Amino acid sequence: MITVERLCRTFGDLVAVDDVSFEVRDGEILGLLGPNGAGKTTTLCMISGVLKPDSGRVLVDGRDIWLEPTVVKRDLGVVPQEVAVYEDLTARDNLSFWGSLYGLSGSELRERVDEGLTRVGLADRAGDRVKGFSGGMKRRLNLCMGLLHRPRFLLLDEPTVGIDPQARLNILEVIRGVTAGGTTVLYTTHYMEEAQELCDRIAIIDHGRILTVGTLDELTRLAGEAEVLRLAGGFDGIQARDRLQSIAGVRVLQAGDGSATLSVAAGGPGLLAVLPAVLSSGLPLDDVSIQRPNLQSVFISLTGRELRD
Amino acid sequence: MAAFHILRRDLLRYLRNPGRTALLFAIPLMMAGIFALVFGGGGEDGGITIRVLLWDEDSSLLGRLLQGAGDRPESEGRLEVVPVGQEGLEMMNHGDASALVHLPKGFTRAVIDGTPAVIEVIKNPAQRFLPLVVEEGVILGATVLSTGSRALRPELDVISSFLDADDAPEDAAVGALSASFNRRAKQFDSYVFPPVVKLEAVDVGASHDEETAASPQGIAAVLSVFLPGFAILGVLFLAQSATRDMLHDRETGVVRQLLTAPVTPVSYLVGKCLSVLVVSAVGLALLVAAGAAAGVAWGSPVAVVAVIVTAAIAASGTLLLVMSVVGSERQGDAVATVVIMSWCMLGGAFVPLSQMPTFLHPIAKTTLVYWATTAFSTLIAGGGIADVLPNLAVLAGGGALGIAIGAAVMGRRLARGAL
Repeated sequence: MITVERLCRTFGDLVAVDDVSFEVRDGEILGLLGPNGAGKTTTLCMISGVLKPDSGRVLVDGRDIWLEPTVVKRDLGVVPQEVAVYEDLTARDNLSFWGSLYGLSGSELRERVDEGLTRVGLADRAGDRVKGFSGGMKRRLNLCMGLLHRPRFLLLDEPTVGIDPQARLNILEVIRGVTAGGTTVLYTTHYMEEAQELCDRIAIIDHGRILTVGTLDELTRLAGEAEVLRLAGGFDGIQARDRLQSIAGVRVLQAGDGSATLSVAAGGPGLLAVLPAVLSSGLPLDDVSIQRPNLQSVFISLTGRELRD
Repeated sequence: MAAFHILRRDLLRYLRNPGRTALLFAIPLMMAGIFALVFGGGGEDGGITIRVLLWDEDSSLLGRLLQGAGDRPESEGRLEVVPVGQEGLEMMNHGDASALVHLPKGFTRAVIDGTPAVIEVIKNPAQRFLPLVVEEGVILGATVLSTGSRALRPELDVISSFLDADDAPEDAAVGALSASFNRRAKQFDSYVFPPVVKLEAVDVGASHDEETAASPQGIAAVLSVFLPGFAILGVLFLAQSATRDMLHDRETGVVRQLLTAPVTPVSYLVGKCLSVLVVSAVGLALLVAAGAAAGVAWGSPVAVVAVIVTAAIAASGTLLLVMSVVGSERQGDAVATVVIMSWCMLGGAFVPLSQMPTFLHPIAKTTLVYWATTAFSTLIAGGGIADVLPNLAVLAGGGALGIAIGAAVMGRRLARGAL
């Protein structure tokens, strides 16, 4: 289990991570979901022992990574967001070097390299220099490097950013495969769909703070099983807020010129009662859409903003 | 252990890029080779020609001697004496010759009369050495003339009276003068011949005919002068390339990824420093070997190895220090190039210290380039390891200090900016 306790980190005046605590339980995939700049990468860097926190600690199976770094790091596999491979070396060279850092050598190293290359679909390009690889291939190689020493804990920092759908599917499939083998995974992403699809539990982070942690069901319940109404039309924000917040059972999450977002609480009058009131509010509406409870609505209900903001 | 894996990986990268690696090692060798070919002889004129303009208003003996010197077969291609009139001054303004020698009207008569005679040498300010050669030659000629004028004073006085007389001299007087010259010549003979000091000018290597075809010895001789400096220049560029890799690692996230493995910042820095050292030492050894193949006699092998190792340490330390304080890979390249070229110029890599202004000599000694270049030059000149011990100490000490400070600064920056 990875235990993150009250991590804090600032860069000058910027508070990047503010009192972050959570646990990654054995065998699960925990998603760290948040928009760009939320503090995901900084948190991951502190967990992986690259960046020292200003305060707080990280325990991996009860051992502090900053007190026993070389011991703890042997159990960790880290796949950073940047593709940090040597482009003038071959895929096999890169993996062999990486494996040697974890004490692998000889036939064991060769077998692990072959196995890893096959797993990420690069066996036929093993002897090619990485310089000629596509972005997706480099990402798969990067993932392979993180898995080569068969870590008990795998930390992935947005491994699917900027790659084609096929490479993305391959990466997600590999992650599911290693989890099935008992590896514990911490997966940072700003893709809501990925978090929903892949993760057992999700921690939502914004402005350096963990807002909530739970399974998808727990999170949607936490948000009051709210359904979200999105309105579009020729109104201004002040006018919309004035008219909508007087409707019973409605919470105005966002109101701007031409668009507004409302949440309808499950315990209130319900969507069927609220909808006619909205339509008869006098606002010039062009479009009304209903969104079932999901991570987006959870995020909106927690932050008042959309995840992709 | 991780340090050795990092070293091994870096060396593998050189092997995986043979073209780039060969180019990296070949550039300094090519530069030294070009210098050797340009200055090593073997050209049609066999070397540099000194062009002298002779404005002889007096049709003097000295003028004819100078003219004759230019016409001698052994002067061919080395000394060209061009008779000119007053237009010679205009030619000098255009830089057409190294110097103009002006013998004014009445020069010969002044020598015969024993009155002060003046030879004017107008030098080309655009040239540094050749006008000095002409000046020295004329001074030598003037000294001989002055000595002769004093030694033959009685005979010259007779000649002077002949010249002043309206009538042609009597045969008996001419005969007496001739006999007097003859006696004087015999007296001089015992002073002059055989000469106590003999000058033997020996061309290194081939005969003149062969020299115009090819001059490997000439090339070796020039390489012996220039290769030490160019070898140091080369090793500095190699060290620059290797240390730049550390900035590349930092900028591309490789360092961050490495630190997620059981690799400490110290072992990373040790690995990279070893890599820079090995590359520098191998590069320098290759340059030395290439020089030896071209005929450069480097001297004691043990001493040469010691200089190679300490010069590699010095180059690594210098470049590590430079790269530790710059902000980016690009900035590192620019700053390192300026530092390398300045140090090589000031340290005597391109121009021997003896040819540099005196006030620069103490500055030269503050550069590790000076100590490395002079170490090699000392060995080429026949010195042994004992003669270069101060050089070895300065190179090893300075280099180690540079590595220590550079690694410390780099380590701090890695720790601070690892994210």
